Amino acid sequence: MIQFVNVAKTYPNAHSPSLNGINLSIGRGEFVFVVGPSGAGKSTLMKLLYREELPSTGKVLLDGKDISRLRDSDVPYLRRQLGVIFQDFKLLPERTVFENVAFALECTDVSRREILRRVPASLELVGLRHKTHSRASELSGGEQQRVAVARAIVRNPVLVVADEPTGNLDPENSWAIMKLLTDINKMGATVVVATHAKNIVNDMKKRVVAIERGRVARDEERGTYGYES
Amino acid sequence: MAMNPRAWVTAIRDALRSMTRSSLMSLASIATVAVSLMVLAAVLLLALNLDFMAASVESEVQVKAYLCAVDDTDPTCNQQELTEDQKKIIVEEVLRIPGVKEVRFVSRDEALSQLNEEFGEHKDILEGLDGENPLRDSLDIQALDVQQVAGIAEAVRKIAGVSTVNYGQDYVNTLMAFTKAIRYGGIGLVLMLIVATVLTISNTIRLSVYARRREVGIMKLVGATDWYIRRPFMMEGILLGVFGALVAMGLTGYGYSKVVVYLTQKIPFWPVVRPEQVLMNQTLGLVVLGAVLGAVGSLISLRRFLKV
Repeated sequence: MIQFVNVAKTYPNAHSPSLNGINLSIGRGEFVFVVGPSGAGKSTLMKLLYREELPSTGKVLLDGKDISRLRDSDVPYLRRQLGVIFQDFKLLPERTVFENVAFALECTDVSRREILRRVPASLELVGLRHKTHSRASELSGGEQQRVAVARAIVRNPVLVVADEPTGNLDPENSWAIMKLLTDINKMGATVVVATHAKNIVNDMKKRVVAIERGRVARDEERGTYGYES
Repeated sequence: MAMNPRAWVTAIRDALRSMTRSSLMSLASIATVAVSLMVLAAVLLLALNLDFMAASVESEVQVKAYLCAVDDTDPTCNQQELTEDQKKIIVEEVLRIPGVKEVRFVSRDEALSQLNEEFGEHKDILEGLDGENPLRDSLDIQALDVQQVAGIAEAVRKIAGVSTVNYGQDYVNTLMAFTKAIRYGGIGLVLMLIVATVLTISNTIRLSVYARRREVGIMKLVGATDWYIRRPFMMEGILLGVFGALVAMGLTGYGYSKVVVYLTQKIPFWPVVRPEQVLMNQTLGLVVLGAVLGAVGSLISLRRFLKV
């Protein structure tokens, strides 16, 4: 489903490339952890997936299509097939939980009726149905991230990209989020998670791709975190 | 740009919300638009009136010839009162000029009482004359055709005993030159003001984008199209322009009506364009122009500050 072919990425004004010679293939329905030291290039790898960044050289294929060659005007349609989750949640704090999730549908012209059907279902899945009308700013960090997950999956994405989703959460909430991501994966979505959560990676025994100095250092089925955290 | 009505409602709501959030900047924009468009409206009204004056003078096929008098400094007059016979001869000579339809002799006394009538309730102005009559005997010469007026005037001027000759075209030429000056000067001024307007609007929109950058970032991530994201900002610019235009037309309309009332009271025979003949069209025109300026202002800002 996802293929990185000889991908290199050098940011303007950077001394060395963030990513260099990345070859990586992820199949449909896989769950993959991306690990590695800070600054190794994990976030860059994620950004290439949702086309926040373009590779300097090489190709990023999604279902065989090179998304780095996508016209700018087609990028929104790519992103509608994806769900993206961040360390800092990226919610609109002054809006309600419902509005935050509905936002993803509203700004892509989904009908009101669809919104009223899909948003509660999505909130049910992350266990926040009872917080529907709370403001996002009134929620705990764990709850906020669950809202972000609900927003990411409300459109039934084929691919969920999570960049350090538990970076701001305590262990308990981190587990809850990872559990949610596993559930989403079981429902059919491909999930790619960049993380520093050593214990979780070690316990979950999923595929682990380690990035070091811009290169793939390890790629193991049922792998472990492999670094001191 | 999808034409989903709900999305438009959302865009207008967001635009209004954004305008109230930065109310001072919005007011500054509206004021700038209003001032620019008011100047534009004033220039247009002035030009319209000058055109109207020119047209009403131009349509007159009359040549006015003033006859020599004792105190006339014109070199062709020999500073003597014309005799009744001399006056008759002059009239006959005029009648012989081709294209002349009729000639009417207007004595200076008749001219004074005519003036009295034209001043109407302001005829007290003439009391300052202390019974003296400063006017001349004159001839009202009707031409058959407005095209011949200039030639007739030229011929009349050559007749002995005729001092000065006036006809519509003289005024028209002066008026035209004046109108031209007003137009060019006005257009230059308006262009500068329009640049200022667009820049102010664009700056307001930039702040608005900045205030909503978080929201914009999320919109991009969840797959909103460029136009969806731009729409509320465009709408904000357009609304600023339209509100400014309405303020401008409100003030201009009020001011112009007052000026017209004043002018027609003071100078009853002055030809003015009636407010109701122009204000409706002007309002429409300026509202459209305001909207365009607003749209252009926000587009400039969005191109620079909203890389989507």
